[in-house]
Amino acid sequence: MKKTRGQTVALNTAGMLVALLFAFPTYWLLTSAFKPSTDMLTPAYDLIPRSLTLDNFGSAWEQPGFLTHLTNSVIVTVGAVALSLVAGVLAAFPLARLRFRGRKGFLLLVLVAQMAPMEALFIPMFLLMQDAGLLNKLPSLLLVYFAITLPFTVWTLRGFVQGIPYELEEAAMVDGLSRFGAFRKVVLPLLGPGIVATSVFAFITAWNEFLYAFVFMRDKDKQTLPVWLSSFRTVFGTDWGGIMAASVMYSLPALVFFLIVQRKLVSGATAGALKG
Amino acid sequence: MTATIHTSVPAGTSPPAPARASGRKRVGLGEKAIPYLLLAPAVVVMLVLLGWPAIQVVGISFRKLDLGELVRGELVWVGLGNYSEVLADPEFWTITVRTVLFTASVVAGTVLAGLFIALLMRHLAGPVRVFVQITLVLAWATPILATTTVFQWIFDQQYGILNKTLVALGLDSFRGYSWFSSGTSTLAVIGILVLWQAVPFVCFTIYAGLLQAPKELYEAAAMDGASPWQTFATVSWPSIRPLVTLVTFLSVIWDFKVFAQVWAIRQGGPDGESTTLPVLLYLRGIADRSFGVASAIAVLMILVLLVLTARYLQLLLRTREGDVS
Repeated sequence: MKKTRGQTVALNTAGMLVALLFAFPTYWLLTSAFKPSTDMLTPAYDLIPRSLTLDNFGSAWEQPGFLTHLTNSVIVTVGAVALSLVAGVLAAFPLARLRFRGRKGFLLLVLVAQMAPMEALFIPMFLLMQDAGLLNKLPSLLLVYFAITLPFTVWTLRGFVQGIPYELEEAAMVDGLSRFGAFRKVVLPLLGPGIVATSVFAFITAWNEFLYAFVFMRDKDKQTLPVWLSSFRTVFGTDWGGIMAASVMYSLPALVFFLIVQRKLVSGATAGALKG
Repeated sequence: MTATIHTSVPAGTSPPAPARASGRKRVGLGEKAIPYLLLAPAVVVMLVLLGWPAIQVVGISFRKLDLGELVRGELVWVGLGNYSEVLADPEFWTITVRTVLFTASVVAGTVLAGLFIALLMRHLAGPVRVFVQITLVLAWATPILATTTVFQWIFDQQYGILNKTLVALGLDSFRGYSWFSSGTSTLAVIGILVLWQAVPFVCFTIYAGLLQAPKELYEAAAMDGASPWQTFATVSWPSIRPLVTLVTFLSVIWDFKVFAQVWAIRQGGPDGESTTLPVLLYLRGIADRSFGVASAIAVLMILVLLVLTARYLQLLLRTREGDVS
């Protein structure tokens, strides 16, 4: 396809416009986080910040509760990811390597569970947690995030185990290792990248989750970061710099983890999802 | 709405022959139990925390369950009472129609924008393309609530950069203009916010499909003097059509259930005018403590969603049958 010079310029200009449009909110989030508060609430038109400061980060960090909410988010997210991984690896091994009755049924259960409309189930979930005396306690959220991330974790890890040649285990067993010895010594180390990718997916899901955190954690000091950020007006008032700084700090872990697995996200989300 | 949970299968795994009994003839009872023991934690969690609530929501939808009944531990069956109450409420219909329209607009916008950018990306010079991709990845990776706060700041009535820009462009009527004074305008802002977060996934998925289209076909089309539109219709479209179907349905599922953004922006206001079904569900269930009525709404919500995505679920189950081997 030959393009004239004019067409090339036009297409690339369109590309730049798209990029600028998508970059703008991110750009605005970052620059606002570093702008001195005196430059925020003025009618002056300043797309490029006149001066930069770290004050906003200080004031966001010192907000009563920021650390508490951060800790809450970390506990429920990391806890759920860890549980999901353990249960996921345990389930992935027999699903990929053993033959037994009920295997198909279980795989179907996982598929259906993956499609469960969690957003429509929070009423019974709320009542369940109330009965268990877990409302307003972090374990309730941790358990729900465990359940939300588990089906996908099992399914993905099973795929990764299947991707490891069975011959490697066989060789190890010939060398005298037991069935599980072979799995532990041969498969688990090779499963490393799969575990990293899976846990990042799970992390991002739990780190983002809003509805259940909002419904379960009615006490202020039990809120997670996203819920706290949604009520920023009562916390920050019009200190937009502080809000932006808090948002940047909240985004950083997700951004870092996201970049680790970015390529897998695209191929992983579509591979075999729907053909024809 | 991170676009990862629902359909992920790791890249590049070809399912090998499934289980092999590794040539052992005699398997003891203890050994037979091993797969079930290993699966037990996952099964228990899924049944208790997903299966049980799914059954419960249907059960509760047939009961009168307000705070009183809950405290007294009463079991009051009302049959379809909750449903007739919900369905007779004109507000429910307004909100349902609003939710469906909101979903349709956001999905259409997301898929068209994603398709357009994906097609555009193929024709960009290397550095420009990388720049576009980086900005898309950043938009995708930023957590929902962080993006929501920065959108609120951009659309701020007094000092928001949008109003400032419009005024600087000479549109003086936007000085102090409130984007959240009507339901339509509020939903439009929420729609743009959702779209901004959803386009990257759609775009990258379609772009990956475009790269799969055989190069020779493009060359052949060019040699035959095909117009860009003809090339798109005969070469690009066949290679991305299934992916476009996929992302359209996934977007319907995600956008229909959006809660965080709607709630964080204006809690369904002003005056309930931007309330969507998930917000209504929250208001009836948690705020009003009418658990029975709310469960009926939840069941109806699932039904609407099933109707909207029936075709997709059918396709998905058919293609996944092969995986469940």
